[in-house]
Amino acid sequence: MIARRPRFKLIDVVSHAYIWLLLLVFVTPFIVLVGYTLTATSGTSTAGNFQFVFGSFLDNLKWSLIISAATLVGNVLLALPAAYGLIRYPLPGKRLLYTIVTLPLYVPGAVIGLSLLLTYYFTYHLATSVFGLIFAMMICTFPLMLTPIVVAMKDLPVVFEEASECLGATRWQTFHKIVLPLIGPGVSAGLMLTFIIVFNEYLVTLFVHPNDITTAPLRVFNVVKTAGLAPSTTALAVVMQVISLAAILLFFRLFGTRYFKGTYLI
Amino acid sequence: MAAEQLSAAAQLPALASDVRRERRSRLTGLLLISPAVLLTFLFLLFPLVFILQMSFTTGRSFLSPEGATFTTENFAAMAGRYLPNVLVTVQLAALSMVANLIFGFPFAYILVRKVRYRELVRAFMVFPMFGALYIAFGIRFLLLPGGPASPLLEALGISNLSVLYGLPTVVFAMSVFTFPFMVMNIGTALSNVDPTLEEAAACLGARPWQTFRRILLPLTRSGIVAGSLMVFGWNLGTFAEPVLLGTLNEQRSLAVTLYNRGVVQADYGLSSAMAIVLLVLAFAVSYVSLRYSRGALV
Repeated sequence: MIARRPRFKLIDVVSHAYIWLLLLVFVTPFIVLVGYTLTATSGTSTAGNFQFVFGSFLDNLKWSLIISAATLVGNVLLALPAAYGLIRYPLPGKRLLYTIVTLPLYVPGAVIGLSLLLTYYFTYHLATSVFGLIFAMMICTFPLMLTPIVVAMKDLPVVFEEASECLGATRWQTFHKIVLPLIGPGVSAGLMLTFIIVFNEYLVTLFVHPNDITTAPLRVFNVVKTAGLAPSTTALAVVMQVISLAAILLFFRLFGTRYFKGTYLI
Repeated sequence: MAAEQLSAAAQLPALASDVRRERRSRLTGLLLISPAVLLTFLFLLFPLVFILQMSFTTGRSFLSPEGATFTTENFAAMAGRYLPNVLVTVQLAALSMVANLIFGFPFAYILVRKVRYRELVRAFMVFPMFGALYIAFGIRFLLLPGGPASPLLEALGISNLSVLYGLPTVVFAMSVFTFPFMVMNIGTALSNVDPTLEEAAACLGARPWQTFRRILLPLTRSGIVAGSLMVFGWNLGTFAEPVLLGTLNEQRSLAVTLYNRGVVQADYGLSSAMAIVLLVLAFAVSYVSLRYSRGALV
C-alpha cells in the first residue's frame, strides 16, 4: 500500500485567501465606523460618542420604529390573503396578477419617491401625513413580504388542509390552526426582510417624508452629507447597522435561510 | 382498472353545481388578492401614470389654474442637454456590473466547490442589505483626510482627496453594494453543475481555461446573465454613492439629478421625464433578466 503524502495545495490556499480578502473588503466600511466610534474620544469619553444617539436621535429612532411597525402590520395583512389566494385558488390571469403585485421590486427607489411625492401633493393630499410615508414604505416592501409567504405556501402539501376539512373544520379554522403555523417561517422571513428594508430606507423617505418627521436613516443621510470626522455621526450609522444585523442573525439562528429564495436578497 | 375509471370520470360532463363551485372559488381567490392589487394600483401604477402625464407638461404648469401646457420639450432635453446624465448613469451601472462579474465568478466558484463555511460567508454578506448609504459612508469616512486610511495613503504618496472623490470610488462602493446579488445568482447556477463534468473534462486532457470556456460558462450562462442584469438594474438607481463619493460628473446620475430638479428646484415636468427614462431603462433590464432567471414562482 502506498502511503499518500498530504499535499500542500497552493491553489486551495489562494482560493481561501481570495474569499477572505473579499470578505474583509466587505466588512471594512462597517469596521471602520465601529472602530472609530469606539476609539475616538469626543470631549470626555467614548461613551460620549453615543450621547448624540440617545439625545435627539432617539426621536428619529422612535419614528423609524413606528413606521416600520405600521408597515409590517399593513403588509402582512395584505400579503397573507394574497399569497393564499394565489396558490390555493384557480385565479384567472395568475401570472399577470403576481407580476403586478411584485412590480415595485423593479422600480428604482428615486422613481417611486418622485411619483409618490407628486401624487401625494396634487391628488391624494397625503404630503403632510405620516400615512403617506407608511403607504410608500408598504409599496416598496410588499413584494419582499409576499414572496417568502408564496414560497412557504407552495412548499406546504395540500393534504393537511384536506384532512382538516374532512374532519369538519371551517375554512377559517383550517387557515389559522393549520396553514398559518405551518407557513410561519415564511411569514417571519417576509417580516424580517420588510423590517430591514424599511428600517434603513432613506431614499424614498427623502422624497415623501412630511416636514416634521425625520426617520433615523434619513437623519444619518442628512448628517453624513456634511460630516467630517465626527465620532457622533459614525455612532448613528453604527447603531442602525447593529440593530439590523442583530435582527438578521437572530432570524438565521431561528429559521435558517431557506425562505429567502426568490426574494433576490439572499 | 382504477386508472380507466378515473379517466372515464374525467370525461363526464361537468355538473351545474361543480361549475358554480368553481366560479365561487375563483371569486374568493380574486377577493383575497384584491387588497394587494388595490395597493399596487393606488400607490404604484397610478403615480407612474401620473408622472408620465406630467412629463409632457412644462415646469410647474401642471398645477397652474389656466391648465397645463403640454409639450414634448422635456424628452427633447433628455435626448439633448441631459443625454450625458443618462450616459453617466449607464456607465456607472455597467462598470460596477463588470467589476462584480470579474470578482464574483471566481468567488462563487470557490464558494460552491471548496468552501465549507458557507453560512459564515452568508452572514458577512448581509451588510449590503442595509443599503448603500452605510457602505458609501464607511468608504467616505475611511478616505477622509485624517481618516483611518490616511497613514497608508501618505506612505504611498497619494493625496486623500484624489482618491476620496471620483469615478473609481463610486464604482467601488456600488460594486460592494451589489456583490452578494451577483454571487448568489452565479452560485445557484454553479451548484446545479455536476462537478464530475469538470473532472471528466480534465481527464480528457482539457486545460482549466478550456474547461471553463467549454463546460462551465455555457452551463451557468443563465445565472451569469440574470445576475449581471439584476446588478445593472439595481445600480441604475444609484443615489447615495454619487452624492457622498462622487465629483460633479458622477453626481449627474439620473436619480440624483431628478431629486435636485424635482424636489429642490420644483421643475416637475423635467424631473418626471427623467424618472420615466430611468424607469424604462430599469424595466427593460429587469424584463430580460427575468426571462433568463429560471423558475417562475406562481
